[in-house]
Amino acid sequence: MEKLNFRFPATQMLESNAHVGVVGSGDLEILMEPSDQGYADVTVRTGTTGFNQIWEKVLERFFSQHAISANIKINDFGATPGVVSLRLSQALEVGKNAGYIKK
Amino acid sequence: MLDTLKNSFVECGGRERARVLMDEGTFRELLGPFEGLESPHLEPQGIVPQSDDGVVIAKGTIEGRPAVVISIEGSFQGGGIGEVSGAKIAGALEMALDENKSGHTIIPIFIFDTGGVRLQEANYGLLSIAEIGAAIVALRKYVPVIGVIPGKIGAFGGMSINAGLCSTLIITREGRLGLNGPEVIEQEAGIQEFDSTDRKRIWNTIGGRQRVAAGFADIEAEDDIASFRKAILSAILQGPVEKPRSSQVERYLAFLGSINTSAVLTPQKVQDLWAETDYYYSEEYDSANKNNVVKIKSRGHRWFNLLSAGSKNISAVPSVLCSDSNIGSESVRFLAVVPDQSSRFPRARSGEFGLEQGWMIAKHVRDAIEEDKYKEDKRAIVAVVDVPSQAYGYREELLGIHQACAAAADAYATARLAGHPVIAFIPGKAISGAFLSHGLQANRLIALDDEGVNVHVMSKKSAARITQRTIEELEEAAKKVPSMAYDIRSFEKLGALHELISDLNADAPGETDRDVIFNSIQAAIKDIQNNPSDLSSRLSSDFAKEGGRSASILVRKMLADQW
Repeated sequence: MEKLNFRFPATQMLESNAHVGVVGSGDLEILMEPSDQGYADVTVRTGTTGFNQIWEKVLERFFSQHAISANIKINDFGATPGVVSLRLSQALEVGKNAGYIKK
Repeated sequence: MLDTLKNSFVECGGRERARVLMDEGTFRELLGPFEGLESPHLEPQGIVPQSDDGVVIAKGTIEGRPAVVISIEGSFQGGGIGEVSGAKIAGALEMALDENKSGHTIIPIFIFDTGGVRLQEANYGLLSIAEIGAAIVALRKYVPVIGVIPGKIGAFGGMSINAGLCSTLIITREGRLGLNGPEVIEQEAGIQEFDSTDRKRIWNTIGGRQRVAAGFADIEAEDDIASFRKAILSAILQGPVEKPRSSQVERYLAFLGSINTSAVLTPQKVQDLWAETDYYYSEEYDSANKNNVVKIKSRGHRWFNLLSAGSKNISAVPSVLCSDSNIGSESVRFLAVVPDQSSRFPRARSGEFGLEQGWMIAKHVRDAIEEDKYKEDKRAIVAVVDVPSQAYGYREELLGIHQACAAAADAYATARLAGHPVIAFIPGKAISGAFLSHGLQANRLIALDDEGVNVHVMSKKSAARITQRTIEELEEAAKKVPSMAYDIRSFEKLGALHELISDLNADAPGETDRDVIFNSIQAAIKDIQNNPSDLSSRLSSDFAKEGGRSASILVRKMLADQW
């Protein structure tokens, strides 16, 4: 298992907590909590080691488009970059609409 | 008629399943993902934890009736029960028990999607499953405990025993219910016993439709949310079930007695025989065993003879021993499971806990409850535990070994609640489903400090296969996580033992050894009489409080705060 930390500058606010996904085969779990610290703090725990650069690229792309100020925890069980991006967007939708999403 | 589109229940995740069963807007999750209650035991083993540890606890209403829904997320670690997830379930049931006891009706609904004990936390899972079972048995008197097996994984291992304890079981065709998963049977008994790739055979043996037809589940639900809600509502309206499946000892013994074990047993045959048991009652298991074998067959057997001091064995099958005797002024019923090379169930000949063992133990314990019904002083019940494993076999699964285990666990728990001091004395092996059935429902556990005394969940070979690790990796992990180790001293650190007794001759005990155990049992009886009849002593012991069960205690505390 590997633990990775990232930080991205943020200008937008998140309205509420968001939780999506599950730590199951090919999937991941994302927890987003709003913060007013002015950056997104991301902690990734992944069972698939050696993909630091790919994580960085995927996250960088997402947070450059959605510069939200939040604490984000990602618990990964071998999700592909596509699934990671999808789940991030989903979490964002939940966090912005303060609702819940079917999962 | 217009055929409306169906909404699949099976396809929903664990959280969504809980939500869709509730009346709209009433769902309130307790100990949700943002509470930071993940398993503390996974990260040290290099496994990524999940924020809710794979269990969702939610309160709300169903058709206006207060309910607590427990839903297991099968996609995380196969729905395996670890310390945190187990404590969430047990804690929620214990809270529901308190509510119902004080007159506030709240219906527990338990959605199973689990392989059983989470092998990476092993004995924590075992202890939690016993605590869950204890709560189910205590709750059933007040409200129906409704079990739901939607499918994907199903209900296996120790959790199939808990499913067998439920008042009502709802299952889909896709759902599966069995003690041992197909891969484990194949590993333990060989591919000729069960081919884990033969999907048709698997579903014909342990699939939902077969289970309903053969008397192991009540309602077959369509995979549609409305169908589940309807089935659950009907179970709620039925009220508490007076004689739950796991207490129907006569009927299942008659059913078992009607099985010809020298012929091929098909799923259809089992359905037919089950349908017939309604009408006649076999006396096969009624009379005491006439040709008592005196030859000592195991360590447990030797201890049983020593403790019961030659009292008459009144059991009808050679693999189960039952004697009434005295320790000082206390009357005690001793029970043991021993090998029997001539057993008609070949997979249970070496002391394994199988079908006959489960139902016979249940019978003997329930007989004692019945006989002492009007007595103030209930006799003590001592389970002598030396059980190498549960029985792994095709026939065992087809005939519902999980239900036999549930029957034994239910009987011990019922005796405990009725005021019998129940003690498990462990001079040998206490393994997995066998220990859950024969021992773990006791008020107090007393073990010998000896190398031959082991507590664990699955043989190393099978555990390695299921968790996709090597045996070396498992042994390495056991060094970091005491709950994964097999020795009794590691088990002691979890706080469930009442006493660990050193310096006795475990293999060839004599009278002095016997007297030490007698004293210990007498002390335990006294202790039981001054304390609650539940399993809470396991969480209040020094070992438990000093770290052995930290997470279990914390989860319960937080749950009570949020309830």
